[in-house]
Amino acid sequence: MKIKFIFLLFIAFYFIIIVRLFFLQVIFSPASRSEYLKTNKLYPVRGRIYDKNNQSLVLNQNSYQLYVEPKKVLDQDNLLNSLSKSLEIEEATISAKLNMSKDWVAIAGGLTQEQKDKIDKLNLKGIGFDYQTKRFYPEASLSAHILGFLGKDNQGEDIGHLGLEGFYDRDLRGLSGFIETERDVAGRPILIGVQQRVEAEDGRDLILTIDKNVQEINKKRLIQGLEKYQAKKGCVITVDPKTMAILGLTCLPDYDIEKYYLFDENFYKNLAISDLYEPGSVFKPLIVAAALEEKKIKPNDTYNETGQVAVGEYNIKTWDDKYEGKISMTRILEKSSNVGMVYIGQKLGNNMIFNYIDKYGFGQNTGIDLEGEAGGFIKPEKNWYLIDYATATFGQGIAVTPIQMIRAFASIINGGNLMKPYVVQKIVSENKITEIKPKIERKVISKMTSDIIRKMLVSTVENAEVKWDQPKGISIGGKTGTAQVAIKGVYDASKTVASFIGFAPAEDPKFLTFVVLFEPKTSQWGSETAAPLFFEIAKDLIVYYNISPSN
Amino acid sequence: MKGIFLRTTGLIMTGLIIANLFVVISGIFISDQINNFEKKTDSLHKINLSLEKKVASLGSLKFATEQAKEYGFTNSTAPQYIDQLKFAYR
Repeated sequence: MKIKFIFLLFIAFYFIIIVRLFFLQVIFSPASRSEYLKTNKLYPVRGRIYDKNNQSLVLNQNSYQLYVEPKKVLDQDNLLNSLSKSLEIEEATISAKLNMSKDWVAIAGGLTQEQKDKIDKLNLKGIGFDYQTKRFYPEASLSAHILGFLGKDNQGEDIGHLGLEGFYDRDLRGLSGFIETERDVAGRPILIGVQQRVEAEDGRDLILTIDKNVQEINKKRLIQGLEKYQAKKGCVITVDPKTMAILGLTCLPDYDIEKYYLFDENFYKNLAISDLYEPGSVFKPLIVAAALEEKKIKPNDTYNETGQVAVGEYNIKTWDDKYEGKISMTRILEKSSNVGMVYIGQKLGNNMIFNYIDKYGFGQNTGIDLEGEAGGFIKPEKNWYLIDYATATFGQGIAVTPIQMIRAFASIINGGNLMKPYVVQKIVSENKITEIKPKIERKVISKMTSDIIRKMLVSTVENAEVKWDQPKGISIGGKTGTAQVAIKGVYDASKTVASFIGFAPAEDPKFLTFVVLFEPKTSQWGSETAAPLFFEIAKDLIVYYNISPSN
Repeated sequence: MKGIFLRTTGLIMTGLIIANLFVVISGIFISDQINNFEKKTDSLHKINLSLEKKVASLGSLKFATEQAKEYGFTNSTAPQYIDQLKFAYR
């Protein structure tokens, strides 16, 4: 009897369970699998960017998006008032976003943990937070043009723009994963249910060739230089001339990288890689090196500088219209003689001038790993007139970018190798480190020619028309440049591009720095603006690199 | 014979019920643990990012400059006027 009673009791319990399951699974069944099957996208962490000493330049930080579910809001006035105070946004602005007919409205993004905690404490009904990450720049806008910034594409997904963020977007972005799990009403995973997880692959980290201390020196000095010489804009590029690894690159004006959206897009332009200008006399050593290489001249050959030189219907003169009579090839560089350069150009030959311009890589992209490079334009040789060959010898009539200029100059002092400039030296993923090695594009001149031109450039600094405040005991080579700016086909004498390119120590260059100032007002000459700025930078770099005096 | 069969069936049933209860309770316990670990992992990830940010900020040139100014290690320079700001000075 007892057994039968227990048996019936079990039957009754089972019946109750079956009825309950029937109600749960058939009568009140979930509308879709999604109610218990949760699929979440696993977002990869975007790659970080470090300088050459593994000091952070770009990291990720916690961030929150505040949203409101209008239908759950109990007191709209209190909500508007409280959020306005906490977010420091006008009530009207929040009110305009708060569409009460919607289920979900985003109010503000990019909130910090502290802001979130502050709002949490208000215990407001109908609000919530979505977790996000955003970029953090420990050095703020020190390297804005190099780094680029992270914006949104049409689908609202993060996308890198310009600089490294743009060029290495695919590496930095990583791959999304997903997780699909069946969860109970409390959100706990149901172990016997569906459990599928594909891990996200985090973005790769970039280790740069940039040294943030060099970058700091460049930027600090350029800011001072622009103010002192009242220049419209300017750039300073410092490289290792042997490898063309970029150690520092800064152009001004730039923009606040954290609030890039407040700036006009003209500020995003990295002048160093995208601005075309006529280089002027800094170009002269390239032609002299070509003539030495082709054995058309020797450093001690002489030229009789007697006066202006006629080329077609044009007269070429020196910058001060003064002439020294018999001068050496080295002296042509020292006094930056345009007529002397026309002579060297004639010795080299028109065809060779054009060939060397091409060999030095002008008119082509350098291939630097930064988004936004412009290649420049060198017109086809059939369109060159006699005057074009003559003016090209002293850097007028051709358009180049600062990065092309410094690359070509590096090739004549590093033994003759035209290198590919680069900013990233290592790409680090979870289980692999890819090293980017210096790349020789081609041999432009021989090592012997390079040694000769290096000595000529030291002499150019030592015997220049202007004396600069040079660091004692360190041999420095370099060349000034002052190019007139063509406006609507006519050169405006009052507007110039002043530049100086120099290297130290001359025997074994540790750095090569190019300073360009656009339209300085205190003086139009490179020797009085860009050159002193270069020596200020060089002094800082010599201390930083601990370069000891050689004599 | 019948008595032995019934007792054995009863014992097996009881054993299975206990085992079932054990599996269900263990499942709930493990699910809870998974849930907690997921929350902890998320929390650690956030703390990690926050600490990484703090370390980078303290090691930055920007912080060093601010500290140098605060403790008077640098000469005071000419004032920078915001209304003439042409570039971002970090």
